[in-house]
Amino acid sequence: MHRRLHQPHLPPSDSPSSAAAAPSPSSSSDDAKRGKKRGSYNCGRCGLPKKGHSCDSSSTAAAAAAASSTPVSASAAAASSTAASASALVRPSFSSSSSAARPPQPPPFLPRHPISHLRRALSFDDLDVRADEGEDFDEVEPDLDERDQDLVDGDADAGGLPVRCLWEVMRRLPPAELLAAAKVCKGWRDTSRRVWRAAEDLKLRVPARAQLCFVGSVLNKCPELVRLSLRMESDVDATMLACIAFSCPNLESMEISTSSNAVNRITGDELGRFVADKRCLTSLKMEGCSNLGGLVLSSSSLSTLWLADLYSLSKMVLNCPNLREISLEFSRNGNDCTDLIAMVDGLGRSCPWLQNIHIASLRLSHAVVLALTASDLRGLRMLSLVLGSEITDASVAAITSSFSDLELLDLSGSSISDSGIGMICNEFPETLSRLLLALCPNITSSGIQFATAQLPLLELMDCGMTICDANDESLISDEAINQGMEKRPKSNLHLIHQKLIIKHSKLKKLSLWGCSGLDALYLNCPELNDLNLNACKNLLPDRLLIQCPSLENVYASGCEELLIEVIQNQVNNDSIPVENHLPFKRLADGSKRIRVPHFLCQQQFDVDKKQRSRRRPCNVLVE
Amino acid sequence: MSSSPPPSSAAASPSCPKKMIALRSSDGETFEIEEAAALQSKTLENMIDEDCAGTPIPLPNVTGKILAKVVEFCSKHAEPGVDDESLRAWDAEFVNVEQATVFDYILAANFLEIPTLLNLTCNVVADMIRGKTPDEIRKFFNIKSIFSPEEEEEVRRENHWAFE
Repeated sequence: MHRRLHQPHLPPSDSPSSAAAAPSPSSSSDDAKRGKKRGSYNCGRCGLPKKGHSCDSSSTAAAAAAASSTPVSASAAAASSTAASASALVRPSFSSSSSAARPPQPPPFLPRHPISHLRRALSFDDLDVRADEGEDFDEVEPDLDERDQDLVDGDADAGGLPVRCLWEVMRRLPPAELLAAAKVCKGWRDTSRRVWRAAEDLKLRVPARAQLCFVGSVLNKCPELVRLSLRMESDVDATMLACIAFSCPNLESMEISTSSNAVNRITGDELGRFVADKRCLTSLKMEGCSNLGGLVLSSSSLSTLWLADLYSLSKMVLNCPNLREISLEFSRNGNDCTDLIAMVDGLGRSCPWLQNIHIASLRLSHAVVLALTASDLRGLRMLSLVLGSEITDASVAAITSSFSDLELLDLSGSSISDSGIGMICNEFPETLSRLLLALCPNITSSGIQFATAQLPLLELMDCGMTICDANDESLISDEAINQGMEKRPKSNLHLIHQKLIIKHSKLKKLSLWGCSGLDALYLNCPELNDLNLNACKNLLPDRLLIQCPSLENVYASGCEELLIEVIQNQVNNDSIPVENHLPFKRLADGSKRIRVPHFLCQQQFDVDKKQRSRRRPCNVLVE
Repeated sequence: MSSSPPPSSAAASPSCPKKMIALRSSDGETFEIEEAAALQSKTLENMIDEDCAGTPIPLPNVTGKILAKVVEFCSKHAEPGVDDESLRAWDAEFVNVEQATVFDYILAANFLEIPTLLNLTCNVVADMIRGKTPDEIRKFFNIKSIFSPEEEEEVRRENHWAFE
């Protein structure tokens, strides 16, 4: 399972696409990385924050479609207890739908895999427990004959619904309920068969007992399956791959995630064979990949590849010329001995059309960055190299000189400094909209301010745990310490009494979690939706000014009571401070009288009223 | 000398008058619906396109009682400036009726091809099905099941992962 350092506060709620569960504030950070599974604090279905939110699954089909929660997310959400230990398939930040530990992502840059409007999804949450997750639904045309329109259910008194209508009802049932409905009567059985046969998406939680039998029998019902997502609750090996290969001839997207006690025993050879045989597979996502050993994947159809929990890959060869997106998360136990340089070198040569790269490994270094920049990846738009404390400003120089159009750059956990930020701002002001620099101890508040001033398109900025004393153990979760996160010695003086003044017209999400060195904050961002101030414990209530009328969520867990009160007052204060442009003249007795033209007065009043009614109430979320 | 009265404007908006479409239910009642609201129904949209909306459109499959509610639904959903939350609340209230009426709504939405209403009502019925065993479903919807013993066995085998 992946564990990622992130704000030690709220349990992540998963999202994208899925909804419901107590959101975790931490989901704001690294959301991009996390993806739905990780727990984000935004409901995947409707984009509203998950905290205290129950998603109405009878919302529009489009919303439902976007949000059908995967079993993984649902159970992760339900089980989420602490943010730090949430295990989930980590998704790179460029996943649009992913919920974020980091502030949720703005609309994706990478066009999503086009959703054919024949897509139907069935989602198993739990076969034994009544599932209450909705499915997604797009416009679907059932293959019914004309006469079925008039045909009422074969048995008498079946509620009088014609087959077409019954079909519409049944396709909205989760798989467990669908199986139950099939037993009601003949007509319902026939309709349920049709619904199964039409299914193109399936999300299954595979319980430990008789898993192969179960998966096989379910897959037999839906031969048209295009997208399959399995959450394994016990060990999985190549026999499952064989079962899938046999049952799903049209499979385009496959995802295997593992719950905490399930071991993924699939080897690199077996995976390679599977991929080579599946000629239409475009997306492969798998976690728990510690037993791969060596991996050679050859596929001309594969365009998305996410592998998590990689450990000591002896070799990694990707003969996938159409690969667009790759995410490789390596084990964090420190013993990983994968040759990253050779791997990245090969990647650059065999996948020239890569657009999104995400690599998370403690062993990322400047040499790896050099290998990457040496390749001719002209289409690169999103680059995320995290956890590499040996990534330096020199690496930033290499990145800025090789790639000119980055839209997302994530160098969290690196050693870059303010001059690295300077280089980034110099090179990417016209394209960069997401900058993530969490856990970069060498960055200061001036660097952050510089970035917000110099990057006009910036929509997301994550500076979690930057302006703080990295040796302050109360901020770092236990897991981080256990995983051997290096505590870099720093002089403390410039880590306290820091202030930030940020004025930005486009910024939507800002994360300053764990910035305990911050004591003053002024924000003037008209588009800001999400603000994360978790664990900003030294922020002074009288040195905080938030002028962000679009703010929807403020996360303030771990902050002083007084500060939380001040935040609440400021964000929900109806009277927006309007700058006084009214002319005044000095009168003979020395006093100033303001001459207010009548129309101007009226206008201001209207503006105030409009703003008040337009603005949604802002949630201040603590724990 | 008299000044001619200003021409009465038929519409609230200055641009064009709101066109009303007339619908006739199966039991002879006539209802008027704004064009914008009528366009929620693909069936009506086609008819309007083909310009046969001059006389009241006969809808033999929908009774007056249901048609009135459908007109209400479409009008509400065609209103500009309603925010999502209050619309959802309104929808929830709209379907807070007895089961037979919900079925009637489904039939009307299916016939008139109104995707929003169909989705709303089908979800309601799906919710009614959720969490029930096959027996309970039969009781709830008053369905008589006629399976032969062999069929019963077959169905049980096919779907045996549920409620084992």
